[in-house]
Amino acid sequence: MANAKSDVLQGTLDLMVLKTLDAMGGMHGYGIARRIEQVSEDVLRLNQGTIYAALLRLVQKGWIKSAWGVSESNRKAKFYSITRSGRKQLDTEAKNWARISSVIGRLLELSPRS
Amino acid sequence: MFHWLNVAASRIHALFSRRRLDDDFDREVEAHLALIAEENMRRGLTPDEAYSDARRHFGSVTQVKESHRENRGVPQVDTVLRDLQYAARMLRKSPGFTLVAILTLALGIGVNTTLFTAFDAVALKPLPVKNPGNVVRMERWFASGSQGNGQYLFSYREYLDYRDHNRVFSSLIAASWLFTALAELPGENGAIPAGKLTGQLVSENYFSDLGINPILGRTFLPEENRTPGTHPVVVLSYPFWRVQCNRDPQILGKAIRLNDTTFTVVGVTDEQFIGTGNPPRIPDFWAPLMMQAQTVPGQDWLNDPGARWFQFFGRLNPGTGIKQAQAEMTVLTHQFEQAHVPADKTLAVTVERATFFGETNTLQFRLFIALLMLVVGMVLLIACANLANMLLARAANRHKEIAVRLALGASRSRLIRQLLTESVLLSLLGGTVGLLFSIWASRLLWVGIQQALQALMWMNVELVVRMTPDIRVFAYALAVSLITGILFGLAPALQSSKRDVSAALKEEGSALGQHIRKSRLRSFLLAGQVGVSMLLLVTAGLLVRGLIRSETADTGFETKKVFLVNVDLGSERAKAGALYKRVVERLETLPEVRCLTLAERPPMSGTWTPPVRVDSIEGRTLANHVSGSYFDTLGIAIVRGRTFTRLEGTRPEGEKQANVAVVSEAAAQKFWPSQDPIGKRAKLDMDFRGKWVEFEVIGVAKTVRSANLSRLDPSYFYLPTGSAQLNAILIRTDGDPKNAVTPVRTALAALDKDILPGLNMFSLEDGLVRKERLLAKTYAMFAVMLAVLALALAGVGIYGVMSYSVSQRTREIGIRMTLGATQAEVLKSVIVQGLLPVFNGVLLGLVGAAAVSTILKATLVFPGTSDMLFGVSVFDPLTFVGLSCFLGTVALIASAIPARRATRVDPTVALRWE
Repeated sequence: MANAKSDVLQGTLDLMVLKTLDAMGGMHGYGIARRIEQVSEDVLRLNQGTIYAALLRLVQKGWIKSAWGVSESNRKAKFYSITRSGRKQLDTEAKNWARISSVIGRLLELSPRS
Repeated sequence: MFHWLNVAASRIHALFSRRRLDDDFDREVEAHLALIAEENMRRGLTPDEAYSDARRHFGSVTQVKESHRENRGVPQVDTVLRDLQYAARMLRKSPGFTLVAILTLALGIGVNTTLFTAFDAVALKPLPVKNPGNVVRMERWFASGSQGNGQYLFSYREYLDYRDHNRVFSSLIAASWLFTALAELPGENGAIPAGKLTGQLVSENYFSDLGINPILGRTFLPEENRTPGTHPVVVLSYPFWRVQCNRDPQILGKAIRLNDTTFTVVGVTDEQFIGTGNPPRIPDFWAPLMMQAQTVPGQDWLNDPGARWFQFFGRLNPGTGIKQAQAEMTVLTHQFEQAHVPADKTLAVTVERATFFGETNTLQFRLFIALLMLVVGMVLLIACANLANMLLARAANRHKEIAVRLALGASRSRLIRQLLTESVLLSLLGGTVGLLFSIWASRLLWVGIQQALQALMWMNVELVVRMTPDIRVFAYALAVSLITGILFGLAPALQSSKRDVSAALKEEGSALGQHIRKSRLRSFLLAGQVGVSMLLLVTAGLLVRGLIRSETADTGFETKKVFLVNVDLGSERAKAGALYKRVVERLETLPEVRCLTLAERPPMSGTWTPPVRVDSIEGRTLANHVSGSYFDTLGIAIVRGRTFTRLEGTRPEGEKQANVAVVSEAAAQKFWPSQDPIGKRAKLDMDFRGKWVEFEVIGVAKTVRSANLSRLDPSYFYLPTGSAQLNAILIRTDGDPKNAVTPVRTALAALDKDILPGLNMFSLEDGLVRKERLLAKTYAMFAVMLAVLALALAGVGIYGVMSYSVSQRTREIGIRMTLGATQAEVLKSVIVQGLLPVFNGVLLGLVGAAAVSTILKATLVFPGTSDMLFGVSVFDPLTFVGLSCFLGTVALIASAIPARRATRVDPTVALRWE
């Protein structure tokens, strides 16, 4: 049970990271985590460390790549950016997500049988 | 959708850059924390607050790092790598132990790999041809049961028949037995005589179907093997071209005269091709089979169905099995033999994968190899026992570490895996060193084997064998190393991981409690290795005693003044017979030759041991055909009766043989004890198939050592022969033997100029007797080398176990000495306890040695067997007792050093010990 739940969460987090990088260009881990928190209007307040599991998975799959760079505050940090295959993946995943969420949405809107 | 490939690649990559990635991630996490903190400070928090909030916000840094590390690589491999790293660190920490262990293993594994290298070269290596896997050699099995090289020979008529009718081979290839031909090579100023060259006749598909390419010119064309005698062409072998032709790049098209025909060189084979073996020799040249009458004149191999001079190779059709090929070839042979009935029918034809030597799949050869493997396996076993003991001792010293790891929750299997990783790492290191050692040793071994082979087969030819290690040797070394590592590592690993955690942590176990049980396994291992080295030591001791005797062994006949004269008279029988007679007559009249005799077999060059029947006694005896002057020439005294007359020796065809015999004193004693043997009758089975012939004894000769140098001939029958049979010629010279060679050569050259290239003569002392001594030396040398190795290993083992047990007993000894035990008493107790397993081992080894000796002795029942001990009793008390004492002394010294250390123990220190 716990597994199924974390699988969904994993996939979701991965998708969020991909989308963030697609929209914002190169970012470091903190930036990504912060951005996701901001966009969710702090509904999603995560242990920022968990972002690194997602980043590792995405790097391993070749969907994002990383390089050392310098942050706005002149600090050395690792910057991630989306790759071409990552964009393609994002496209498919986003479509999937839209389909599933619309199905779920409709399901949930069904009025109870009277 | 290949992203799983990306994942795998990145994980594997991560395995090998663990440290760098760890650092990388550490810095990344640090930067992350710093970035949160910066923002916090901008919001007005103090640095301390900023950082603690950052840490809270980030989550558990350790957990994130740990999971990152786990997901980055391949966990299983990662564990193995970490185990290896840990093992390497442990080994580096005790370099003394590591060095001894690696050397011990290197010797054990090296000796085994060396033997395997030799076995591989002789029996496993495929021929240097294309796709050697499906090339087979045919072997026939006779109704008479007769064995040997004859089993590999077939006739050309059979070749034609089988080639056209078989459905199992994609090609059938014939290659003749090697022969020699008198040659002249092209020179700047006319032809240069080149002596006798070795040649081989081959079917036209020999080179093409075996896939052998020339480095110069071409190989044979199909039309060169269609009509007899029309295409005088030869292909030269690489070694011949390199040495005799000085790598002449213009050799193609040049003429070589072989016998009386001029041949044209059309090609040279490449360096890799060293012939198709059995025996493994490279001929100087190859000629088309159709040139047989020119290269081997006077014989008709092409039309005579009984002229079996060819080995057959077949390339199996795809999908055809060995069994199917054997069945088909057997049927074809039976059909052929119905049309051309041979003297000895063929029961069956087998095919075997073609290797350099024939007869490597016989039971005898396998038994021989198994025996050798057993002997060198024992050396490895000693090494294993040593290592196991050392590891047990080490494990006992590491019990605290192991207990801590167990207490911290390491599983037992995880610990065993860690310990096995250590032992396997050790054995792999040892195996690598051993492999290097074996590459060197196998060259040495080959020299020894070559000498032994030449002495046994009486061949003056160089055998071409590649001792270079190949993939099989590497695989073998790897397998032996792995097995060894697990073998010597498993018992210690099982035992030390079983340890009771609480007892070990309290440091109680070592002094008194568990000690007894553990030391039983160690004693057993120690006794075992002492036993094995005792066995090897006694065997070597007996062989050395034999070697010493062989140096002074007296043949009983003259060897320095007697020369064996070998002449190659060519292949034409009638011509050879006439020439042989003239050679004998000429030699007899030479002033330097005092005496000349003819013998079917010269002394020490093969035996004939027919069954013999005297009244009701049956047995085997050595026998030989010799001319009447044999006894005079060799200086063997006739003690009763007479030798043969010249008339009894001449046996013109069709006439009845003179059925008389001279027997040795030993034979007379054996068959007619305390009777006068003169006039008595004995029957010999002349062909092992019941062709019994009766002989009348006319004389008794002194017993000598003529079958081999190792012992007096148990029984010998001399039967008459004459110059009609092309026997070996033995001459006895007058005066200084060195002066006899030149006149003989001159006289024979004057007789026929073609004799000289095929002539060689040497005294029995220099030729045959020396080879016998060399053989004894070779056996003894190998045995001594193994025994010294075993002894050294056992010494190290005893020392190791003793010093460990002393260090374990420090506390106990301290107590004893406080209670008033003297140094001598302590010394005695330590040594007695330590030497008990040694004593058991010596007993064990002596029993084993006695068993081996009994087997060795049993082989001497056969009259032709040579006695490797040269008459030393197999239970020679000097060897058995002497070597036991020697081993005892070595054990005593090995245990005295640690024992003395025990007596120096200061009681107060000992009691406080740990």
